[in-house]
Amino acid sequence: MRNRATAIRIVLIVWIVASIAGDVALAFGPIPPGQASDLASSESLTILLLAEIAWPVFAGVLAALFFTLVVNRLAPPTAVVSPEALRGNTRVQTAWIAATLVIVLSLAVYGTVALAIDQPGAGISTVSAALPMPTSTDQPLEVQVIAQQWWFTYRYPTYGGIETSQLVLPVNQKIQFHITSLDVTHSFWFYALGVKGDAVPLNDNVVTATPTQTGTYRVQCSELCGLWHGNMSDNTAMVVSPSDFATWIQQQTTLDAPIMKFLVPYSHTYEPSPTIYGT
Amino acid sequence: MSTRPTLARRLNEWGLLLGVIGAVIGFIIGFAIGTIAIGNSFNTDHSLGSDPGILLGYALSALGFLAGLGFLNYPIGRLLGAKRPSEEDNAYMHGEAGGLRRYFRMTTDHKVIGLQYLVMILAFLFIGGLGAMFIRTELLTPSPTIANAQSYLTLVGLHSTLMIFMASAAIIGPFGNYFVPIMIGTRNMAFPRLEALTFWLLPPAGLILLSTVFLGGFTTGWTGYAPLADQNVLGMDAYLMGFALIGLSIGLSGLNMIATILTKRAPGMPLSRMPIFVWSVLVTSFLGALASPALIAAVLMEMFSRTYQTTFFVPAGGGSPYLWENLFWFFGHPEVYIFVIPAFGLIMEMLPVFTRKPLWGYRVGVGGMVGVGVLSFVVWQHHLFVSGLAPSLRPFYMFSTEMISVPTGIIYLVSLGTLWRARTRFSTPMLFIFAFFFNFLIGGFTGVFLSDVPSDFSLHASYFVQAHFHYTIMGAEVFALMGAIVYYLPKMTGRTMDIKLLRYQFWAVFLTFNGTFLSLIAVGILGMPRRVISYAAYLQPLNDSASIFALALGLSMALFLGILIWEVVIKQRVAAANPWESLGVEWQVPTPVPTFNFDRVPVSWSLPYDYDTGKPAADFGPVAPALTGA
Ligand code: HEM
Ligand SMILES: [Cu+2]
Ligand SMILES: [Cu+2]
Repeated sequence: MRNRATAIRIVLIVWIVASIAGDVALAFGPIPPGQASDLASSESLTILLLAEIAWPVFAGVLAALFFTLVVNRLAPPTAVVSPEALRGNTRVQTAWIAATLVIVLSLAVYGTVALAIDQPGAGISTVSAALPMPTSTDQPLEVQVIAQQWWFTYRYPTYGGIETSQLVLPVNQKIQFHITSLDVTHSFWFYALGVKGDAVPLNDNVVTATPTQTGTYRVQCSELCGLWHGNMSDNTAMVVSPSDFATWIQQQTTLDAPIMKFLVPYSHTYEPSPTIYGT
Repeated sequence: MSTRPTLARRLNEWGLLLGVIGAVIGFIIGFAIGTIAIGNSFNTDHSLGSDPGILLGYALSALGFLAGLGFLNYPIGRLLGAKRPSEEDNAYMHGEAGGLRRYFRMTTDHKVIGLQYLVMILAFLFIGGLGAMFIRTELLTPSPTIANAQSYLTLVGLHSTLMIFMASAAIIGPFGNYFVPIMIGTRNMAFPRLEALTFWLLPPAGLILLSTVFLGGFTTGWTGYAPLADQNVLGMDAYLMGFALIGLSIGLSGLNMIATILTKRAPGMPLSRMPIFVWSVLVTSFLGALASPALIAAVLMEMFSRTYQTTFFVPAGGGSPYLWENLFWFFGHPEVYIFVIPAFGLIMEMLPVFTRKPLWGYRVGVGGMVGVGVLSFVVWQHHLFVSGLAPSLRPFYMFSTEMISVPTGIIYLVSLGTLWRARTRFSTPMLFIFAFFFNFLIGGFTGVFLSDVPSDFSLHASYFVQAHFHYTIMGAEVFALMGAIVYYLPKMTGRTMDIKLLRYQFWAVFLTFNGTFLSLIAVGILGMPRRVISYAAYLQPLNDSASIFALALGLSMALFLGILIWEVVIKQRVAAANPWESLGVEWQVPTPVPTFNFDRVPVSWSLPYDYDTGKPAADFGPVAPALTGA
């Protein structure tokens, strides 16, 4: 009996220490997707928070499993248990269900509030006209992402609707991505910015984020879109300073000038390729 | 009266051969009609045939196969005014005195069907597993080596569809069919012919799926998203027809099980006293019966799109990709619980045997499974959080998905309660039960990260999701399946495996499984999308770790199969009558179980978990086999 009490204490202590150590380690560890945008920061905060809650619960269930499986064999319980107690205990059951309900409901409330505050989008847009040129950094700059088998092109409606094959964004400027497709369903994934939205033909999927760190990043397709889906990625997406952005967009405008008259006018969606059965 | 049955019987004896002939004839007729009469494929690939030809050919070949096996004899005979089959005929159809040959024909004996399922499940688990080995070998390097883009995607699609197929019947098929009637004390299923049909639909389904490799493969994975599906070559038709037959089998099996469990229980067995495994089968059957119509409708619509250009899912033709996504996941989410609820049931059924304690909290356990079942119908849009549907829909699906953790947690509550103060016997099945708890815990916790919308933004469509559902499906369901095979084979075959040797095998699969999928959780968090043949170079070390563990995992799984075949089929190691000293009704009937299970239908007394008093669960009548030491 004494052994058992000691064992219970040891398992409890190990659990508490492991929970605290794990949670502290999590708090200091890098949490994906990082801090390169406000959206990414809020996602990594959510992931951190979930992990902080999940780890002690996870460890607790494992500790209980370990206890019942191992300690009971080494130091067998001796107390006589009534037949009823062997078959259930309403109080324990109610408590367990109440506890899990509370955790789950608070998670749902937290998630809903986070969604309401961040307004991260990835939802169909209701506006049809392009946004005007932003006059400040918290007014969104509209950037269109057009997916097709098997690459992305980008259009900047406030810069005459020019089309580029490289994605370049000004830092600290709120960006509104408008994602659409010309053929099948793709998904635009800018990992570092925490941006992901399916590209669906005739649909305008909107995601908003403000990049906060300059750098060169990877964008890729994350929805299976056929043969070369695995190669539909690009390591040259850039977040640059506003002045670099101005220079770049100027260059692109000059480059695009000869083909501008062949481009379809800017629009939130485009008629998909008419051939739906390949060629 | 005496000539007709002999003819029918003789035909039935040769059913498998006739079935194959029927399948070939059916295919030729269907292909000819489809190609000549409907013709004009919208597809680019005309060299191998047309979509209508292939689809009609497959449909008629499945029909021809079933007709050859003898599924039409009874309905057509009755339509033409034949008398009801005699007792003798029924006993014959039930496989009485059929020896080994009855396993190769259509029978209405649920025990024969259970074993047929088991063999088929293991075969597809093995074939699907080989696919995974190729995939992981390819992913050892960041750019294509052994496969090309087309063959890689076909491998991914085949592996996943075969495994989904395998997983949706892995526990219900063998153990549900074999043990539910015995556990509820009946001689027969409510619809024995339908039960046979649910099994015999599956070999054609599997072969049709596999035939995709001769038709150019398909690039959509198991989710079959349109309009990509409309673009695909003829290999897509194999996916569609295969999946349609699987859906049909899931739905019919559900109806049969519901009818059986609700109407054929032994006297003295109210619903509140049903073994918990039977409860899990009942809940799962409702999911199957209600969800599979959505799948069947979706694949039929896609078949029409590919043959009659109905463009249900093609925006250019006025359709919507979201229609497919919603129909598919309306089926797809309940489907994932079709995999795992029977595993819950099995685990809770086996635990009392190894803890020598009554099941703790039977009623909440049942409530938990029912709760999971009901909720699983209202969460499907968590697969579509970033799809571009209205954002206002998301909080609800986040809420409902997170709510599922509550009834799921109850399974842990019941199990921990049963383990509490128990001196658990660490027999080999118990090791697999332990692995189930460990793996499903990781599966469930990764699920929470996916159900929260902000974190799902990062994790959706990445290897994190892939690791999540491998933890739940392979880690939970397949580990439960392996445990159940070790546990129930002595009853089903009278033979046993070397459970000492299996302990080594267990640690091998357990460790390599976790090595593989923990690596893949990390790969997903670092940003690798699923279903890609090329990936960023910085992800190679983790991918290599996953691949090496996966290859070892493949070997450990093969070892299980090897031990199984060696000991049960070749060495035929004889099992004790009730090696685990279970009180379950299924262990009290003699081995091999008589053709009609019981001389006299037993009278149920109590739940079969009274290990504290050792009270038997049922009264078997004048000669209780348990008491005569059979
Ligand atoms: C009970 C056994 C479970 C199984 C068999 C299962 C299976 C699956 C499968 C197959 C997928 C991936 C579909 C795909 O993208 O191809 C998936 C995704 C998902 N699962 Fe589970 N799951 C289980 C439990 C849970 C639990 C307990 C939760 C939540 C608490 C959960 C939440 C999710 C979510 C939110 C997704 C969508 C992730 C995404 O695509 O971003 N699952 N699950
Ligand atoms: Cu793609
Ligand atoms: Cu789901």
